[in-house]
Amino acid sequence: MTGAPPAPDIGALLRELAPEVLAAMVRRYGEFGACDDAVQEAMLAAVAAWPARGIPESPKGWLLTVASRRLIDDVRSEHARRRREQDLAAAAAPLAPPEPGPDRDDSLSLLFLCCHPALSGPSQIALTLRAVGGLTTAEIGAAFLVPETTMAQRISRAKQAIRASGARFELPGPAERPARLGIVLHVLYLIFNEGYTATAGPGLTKPELSGEAIRLTRWLHRLLPQDPEVTGLLALMLLSDARRSARAGPDGSLIPLSEQDRSRWDRDQIAEGVALISAVLPAGQVGPYQVQAAIAAVHDEAESLAATDWPEILGLYQLLEQLAPGPMVSLNRAVAVAMVDGPAAGLDLLRALESDRRLAGHHRLHSTRAHLLEMSGDVAGAVAAYREAARRTTSLPERRYLTGLASRLAAGEKTPGGM
Amino acid sequence: MKYLLMIYGNREKWESMSPDAWPEAIARQEAFNARYRETGELLGSYGLADAAQAKLVRRVKGMPAVTDGPYLETKEYLASFWLLDCESEERARQIAADMPFADAEPVELWPILHESAADQ
Repeated sequence: MTGAPPAPDIGALLRELAPEVLAAMVRRYGEFGACDDAVQEAMLAAVAAWPARGIPESPKGWLLTVASRRLIDDVRSEHARRRREQDLAAAAAPLAPPEPGPDRDDSLSLLFLCCHPALSGPSQIALTLRAVGGLTTAEIGAAFLVPETTMAQRISRAKQAIRASGARFELPGPAERPARLGIVLHVLYLIFNEGYTATAGPGLTKPELSGEAIRLTRWLHRLLPQDPEVTGLLALMLLSDARRSARAGPDGSLIPLSEQDRSRWDRDQIAEGVALISAVLPAGQVGPYQVQAAIAAVHDEAESLAATDWPEILGLYQLLEQLAPGPMVSLNRAVAVAMVDGPAAGLDLLRALESDRRLAGHHRLHSTRAHLLEMSGDVAGAVAAYREAARRTTSLPERRYLTGLASRLAAGEKTPGGM
Repeated sequence: MKYLLMIYGNREKWESMSPDAWPEAIARQEAFNARYRETGELLGSYGLADAAQAKLVRRVKGMPAVTDGPYLETKEYLASFWLLDCESEERARQIAADMPFADAEPVELWPILHESAADQ
């Protein structure tokens, strides 16, 4: 080891710049797919050149110049169609990079394009991570545990779908905009959840995806500081992610909220999330992400499960059920009802939910019933319901956890499920 | 979410098909594979060798002990499998139903344990 100063994090800088560079390229040349390929090549060139030569004075200008050259080389190559060459060569006549500096509308247009409704959910996620997140195809493949070739196929198909849909690089009009922003937020939340709960392999979390989702949502929040749902989503992510290190044991096993060591929760992240949600709620434009963030905040601020303000949580779930009705929300409300009015009231609500086709056979219905049966003292019923839930979950740590609860309960032990 | 598709068969079943019918059957299966590789949903498709090639492996006193597979006696054995990664179980069912032979023989569809719903 030499005494050289630590290298600045080139990877982080490149990921920061990726959407700005790509947005500027698409604004200038159109052709999202070709521009994305050129920007990826420019980033690879930067990874090769910068560590030895140092980061250029204007890294964004450097990337734009290299990406523009790559794009033009690409277009001029034999495979490119002649007409495209003429168009692009004309557009590219002065090779100076477009003016640097953040261009908010371009960055937003890029995000809206990646989350275009013509794309399937997995394609929106892959394209967003690649074009806006600046991750390589190999990194995205590794995060979702699929081969790089599969992920490359998804990205290339997504680009084809964008071209075929005739989508344009522009901000959606005012009529369309709330729905389109809704998709963007949903895609970011899916990326977060994939990191927060997906569990290929032994572990319970893939923090790098959660971290990436938080980084992208922070970036969106900087672009749209006035949007209450963007703020709500950022707060929800921070308040959930704050519990990450307490959610899993050293062996990757699941630790439920009731058993978590609350001293391991990330207090700074909780403070940031609480500040965000507290600032935005009084504005009165309440949406589902803000309400979920408020629920997470109530949990995060409680010293113990018993000290949790359950009437407050119940009220928030009632509000959420009006704003964004769904079987999972009703299930969570049933738990809150049980905590406020006792397990019998919660079980009554569950019976009404059992006829919901979307919930029939879902492990959460069975694990919730097991939990409430255990609270009510019906040990045999709870054991059977925990076993049924274990059979139906598709998460390995969760299956182990539920099987463990059933075994401990059957052996006459008290479990964290019964509190 | 990842899924495994499996089809089963035996020698009798394969031999009942006329040799002339094979090229078309293989082409249809290859077209299916290409279609879902292109959508980024098919991670891999694998055909297994004849059951006569299957082995049973145990460890006896720390050493591998290998015998011929048990499958010669069973009526049907695993013939091929496909690994999918797609948006939902509904989508996996659609793809399974699109298998060229799904109108003649059932395709087994198994979710692979790797995902869970949010815990709150």
